[in-house]
Amino acid sequence: MTLDGLRRRTHAAVDALERLVGGLGTAVLALALLFWLFIVAVTSLAGVGLVFAPTAVRAVRAVADRERARLSRWGPEIVGPEPLAPGLRAWSDPAVWREVAWLVEHATLGFVISIFSLTIPLSAVQDLTYPFWWWLVPANSAPGLVFWSVHTQLDALAVGLYGVAWLAVGFFAGPWLARAQAWPGRRLLAPPPGTDLSLRIVELTATRAAALDAHAAELRRIERSLHDGAQNRLVAVSVLLGAARRAVARDPAMAADVLERAQAAAEQALAELRTVVRGILPPVLDGRGLDGALAGLAADCGVPCRLDVELPRRCAVSVEATAYFVVAEALTNITKHSGATAAGVTVRIEDQQLKISIEDNGRGGADEDAGSGITGIRRRVEAYDGSLTLTSPAGGPTTLRVELPCGS
Amino acid sequence: MRIVIAEDDPLLREGLALLLRAESLDVVATAEDPAAFLAAVDEHKPDVAIVDVRMPPTHTDEGIVAAVEARRRLPGLAVLVLSAYVEQAFATDLLAGGAAGLGYLLKERVGRVEEFLEALHRVAGGGTAIDPEVVGLLLARNRPDDALARLSPREHDVLALMAEGLGNTAIAEKLVVTEGAVHKHIRSIFAKLDLAPDDRADRRVIAVLRYLRK
Repeated sequence: MTLDGLRRRTHAAVDALERLVGGLGTAVLALALLFWLFIVAVTSLAGVGLVFAPTAVRAVRAVADRERARLSRWGPEIVGPEPLAPGLRAWSDPAVWREVAWLVEHATLGFVISIFSLTIPLSAVQDLTYPFWWWLVPANSAPGLVFWSVHTQLDALAVGLYGVAWLAVGFFAGPWLARAQAWPGRRLLAPPPGTDLSLRIVELTATRAAALDAHAAELRRIERSLHDGAQNRLVAVSVLLGAARRAVARDPAMAADVLERAQAAAEQALAELRTVVRGILPPVLDGRGLDGALAGLAADCGVPCRLDVELPRRCAVSVEATAYFVVAEALTNITKHSGATAAGVTVRIEDQQLKISIEDNGRGGADEDAGSGITGIRRRVEAYDGSLTLTSPAGGPTTLRVELPCGS
Repeated sequence: MRIVIAEDDPLLREGLALLLRAESLDVVATAEDPAAFLAAVDEHKPDVAIVDVRMPPTHTDEGIVAAVEARRRLPGLAVLVLSAYVEQAFATDLLAGGAAGLGYLLKERVGRVEEFLEALHRVAGGGTAIDPEVVGLLLARNRPDDALARLSPREHDVLALMAEGLGNTAIAEKLVVTEGAVHKHIRSIFAKLDLAPDDRADRRVIAVLRYLRK
């Protein structure tokens, strides 16, 4: 073997050792998790364990992802499966059962391979150094495989030869052992060969396209609200002013009347511009987050407004902006039309949905077709694949529920 | 002059009707969507229709489609299309069957009442009223026409005003020249565009269409 070849071998052996140590780390995790799974499974028979089943499946995914990341560092990248379904349904995912199979293998065979592999360098060091400290220990307590009693320096040097042998084993078998330990993970944690990966790619492409669609829909919505709203108002202002100018000599009373209409139209244009701007991206979201921004809206509301927001994490900016828009419009409606004396806003994240509920104790009878702001809210919500339900019996109370997908 | 207005925005619809009625024009019906508009045309047989391009349900080109259909049902109906912005495709669709009795104006021109009424009367009389901005856009976007490229800048100005639907006197006023000068420019335009003098009435329209069509 050339010097260069030796250097390469040494390098490979050290790498293999590092991989096996890492493998031992995930194997210990796997072993602990396997134990936990066993307890959950047994107690599930009695019903109690079912409470922990959703957590358990997520723990499996977490450990598997750790192994995926580790294996990806040392070789071709392993693409993970699609995100887990919420709750117990996650257990119906075949990918989860492949992960469990890997868990069983890695907690047993993988663990043993790691332990065995790590004894090789330790034994090598022990045996190689034995000639230097053999006289300190009793004659018949020589390491591992030594079958003779060590009484002389020569006996001890013979033990040193074992160390050389261990070293050779470590050099040649190390990389092989590391590969053997990684192999089940590479098979079981990667998506099943063939179709699945392409399905995953299709899904990712589809979600990306949907995101772009939502973006385009959003731009279309802004364009339309500018054209059909503010611009039409301003044209009306111009038309009315033109009419007033013609009338001013002929019929001053009529001119005054037309001017008043023109002014009302200009005020409407301003109000609509404000709505559009607020709808694009309220600056307050950046500064204070959705809950802070909603608190501002509730405080400004014309009727006393109770606010109940629990947001463990932030959503996509566009989703937060939509939520803000929905609440702002709904509170404006309540102040203007409902005659309510109290309003309430509740915001939660459940099942990857941002759920908003706005209620008031007003006179009810809100009609989506009667030109209220509800149509605008619905348009906006549907651009984000969300849903809107309005319950408003005559006499009240009115409840507006909006759900927006906010991803994982 | 009997007028039907098709405009989906209530405020603008009322505003237009108010303006025209104040000028003692006869607004016989207003409509908020293409179906109501066509029904009103069938019922009232108006002289002129004022039509907004964007109407329900999709708010794209319903007004153009409705205008073309109305002219099919009632030949000779003058149509003045109002648009919030200039869209070349709409103008081209509208002018595909010739420019007589047609107008295409930006909505804000309505506020300049004298000019708007003048355009309305011109269209009602079988003439043409194309918004200067539309003309400018069509000139800028259309692929270069070798014959048009031979025109001098002054001749371009004259042709652009012709495309807006102005007569020689009005063109002379706008360009602050004599009518004789305008005549000379127009003769030169006809020559450069190879329009033979045998059918004078059509040459004007053909020259304008050369301008406006792709």
